[in-house]
Amino acid sequence: MSGINLEVRGVRKAYDGHVAVDDVSFAVPAGAVYGLLGQNGAGKTTTIRMIMDILAPDRGEVHLFGRARRAEDSRRIGYLPEERGLYRKMTVTDHLLFLAELHGLPARVARPRVDSWLERVELAAWAKTKVEALSKGMQQKIQLVGTVLHEPEVLILDEPFSGLDPINQGLFKEMIADFKRAGRTILFSTHILEQAEKLCDSICLIAKGRVILSGELATIKRERGGDLFEIRFDQPSAPALDGVPGVLSATPHDGAVRLLLAPEARPAEVVAALVAGGARVASFRTLEPDLESIFLQAVRDAA
Amino acid sequence: MRLDHVSTILKREYLTRVKSRGFWIATLVLPVAMAAIVVLPSVIAMKSRGSLRLAVVDELGGVAADLERRLAAPPAAPADGAEALAAGSSPDQRSAISIEAVELTADATALRAELDRRVLAGEVDAWIWISAAGLERDEVEYHAESVSNFMTQERLERALSRAVAQRRLEREGFDVERVTRLVRGVELETVRISETGSRKEAGLAGFFLAYFLFFLLYTVVAIYGQQVMNGVLEEKSSRIVEVLISTVRPSELMVGKLAGIGLAGLTQLGIWMVTMLALSTPGVLGAMMVAGGRLPTVSAGLVVHFLLLFLLGFFLFSSLYATVGAATNNAQEAQQFAGIVVPFLVAPVFFMVPVINDPDSTLSVVASLVPPFTPLLMMLRIAVKTPPAWQILLGYLLTAGFVAGLVWVCARIYRVGILMYGKKPTFGELWRWLRHA
Repeated sequence: MSGINLEVRGVRKAYDGHVAVDDVSFAVPAGAVYGLLGQNGAGKTTTIRMIMDILAPDRGEVHLFGRARRAEDSRRIGYLPEERGLYRKMTVTDHLLFLAELHGLPARVARPRVDSWLERVELAAWAKTKVEALSKGMQQKIQLVGTVLHEPEVLILDEPFSGLDPINQGLFKEMIADFKRAGRTILFSTHILEQAEKLCDSICLIAKGRVILSGELATIKRERGGDLFEIRFDQPSAPALDGVPGVLSATPHDGAVRLLLAPEARPAEVVAALVAGGARVASFRTLEPDLESIFLQAVRDAA
Repeated sequence: MRLDHVSTILKREYLTRVKSRGFWIATLVLPVAMAAIVVLPSVIAMKSRGSLRLAVVDELGGVAADLERRLAAPPAAPADGAEALAAGSSPDQRSAISIEAVELTADATALRAELDRRVLAGEVDAWIWISAAGLERDEVEYHAESVSNFMTQERLERALSRAVAQRRLEREGFDVERVTRLVRGVELETVRISETGSRKEAGLAGFFLAYFLFFLLYTVVAIYGQQVMNGVLEEKSSRIVEVLISTVRPSELMVGKLAGIGLAGLTQLGIWMVTMLALSTPGVLGAMMVAGGRLPTVSAGLVVHFLLLFLLGFFLFSSLYATVGAATNNAQEAQQFAGIVVPFLVAPVFFMVPVINDPDSTLSVVASLVPPFTPLLMMLRIAVKTPPAWQILLGYLLTAGFVAGLVWVCARIYRVGILMYGKKPTFGELWRWLRHA
């Protein structure tokens, strides 16, 4: 597989005068693990709901598999909403078969898959149990299995790790890795940037309903690198850094200080200015930026 | 609308209900309760008839013997007026009353005390004193420990009245046989006329059938409507609706849900109706007659109307209930909103008496053609007296059209409401959802 599997083109959605998503565009390459990042309320869920055709965009369109989205495309997607639930009165097997049938999978095909998945997530003994009798962690497993039973080509997960217990987080990461190995495409949203950094190939950062940064994570880091430095001082407390020309932000970190410099600033001049001001600089080096600082800077740039 | 989507939803709604234990308990309880209502009273009457040992003091002489003869007479068919005069009440309610004639002694007070003693000692159950003075006032004293066995007392009273009447007639020189023949009463033989032919039917039974079908329909429409509302609420509060809506359209979800739950209701009613039809067949009816009650006859046509009107009523009210469920966030809010739906469901109850009394009056015809009232009131009219075919047809068409429009409107509100969380919507907002959906 190659090319673009999922593309969002200039979508906009407003509720009662409040614009939740404004002109959002991004493209998810086939086989990628793609992170849709942003704080709560940034517009991630609205964007995903438009991809899932749950909400109709006011403007713009969604393309899947290289063409405009069709209603039946839903069957090729595995979707895990942020808010999750199951029918409490159904047995585990019946529920999974129902979810499979919703995606066009007949019971005769789905049944062996249900059995083997239940085996894999160690819930085979609960197959005939009603959902309401299961623990929360077990229900989460059922939801995960229900998302992938029909072997979707694209997985769309809205805040997949929120509320998951550690065991299920591990299971989930394993499943994402399996999917990636099988060459399938995964789009997931999160507000936890460390997670995205570990899992994603590409990202799209959204703030206040607008895209502020998108692309391959490695490229972004390379391009955004060079502005972030770590400085250590050979003195009990760091001197005031905020007023120094060229310094955008200074955050204490692990005994040192992280400096974000303005793109036009020259690092040597900043250090020279500090030394001239009486600071005793022990070390100064460039840092590979983490997603969080990229995010913060991008938000600042956009403002 | 994709039928495979609708059928997936329908199947789940139907199977989860039909597979539940509660469904079958309810399905079985009603026929058992029906049978119990019909059979139990006669069984209880039979069990409780017991026997009454009666001591009789007959000042006049001859009345006691006549009384004994009358009480021992074989039961007669209730329709036969002449025999009825002789026999009294219907056979199953007859108690065995045994008569013991007590000689009148000189000391009446001592005799009375002795009789009281025998009642208290349990040798007899009661005693009566037939005196000339008492008969002047049309009275016979009855003394017993328990005076609440009114069925037995009534029978005794009737037999006694006739024995006394015969004696008075003889005194006045009348031919008792002839008088009895002349004063015997008549009974109304009620025949119900319908387009499919006339049939004999007990008037009271037909009335009860109409009542029964009306309230059965009312109950099932209300219960299944509530089930739809709770089902929508469950999907909304458990958030599973988002997974559903990502693969099926909201209208498909709503229609599948209504159809599935409606079909479960139809299954339950079908079982009940078949039971009623089976109970109405002559053989079974005959067997039930022995047990005492007269059952109304249920025709296949009536059953078909009942089931069709259930479907119309169900779709009408449950599409409203589905919308209520979708627009609200929890059971309390939903109940408040459902308060708007309930009056339309309850209103036909106020038309019940006028419609039963005069099913062809302008009021009855017009009320039964108002779509929200048609399912219940047309059912009532059909059960009481088959209305003209054009009225039935018009009722069906108007309601079907109304239901189609209502489902369309409700689906639009449902579509927006189902994904709305948080505050309870105002009517203004519902109106906006309707226009913008």
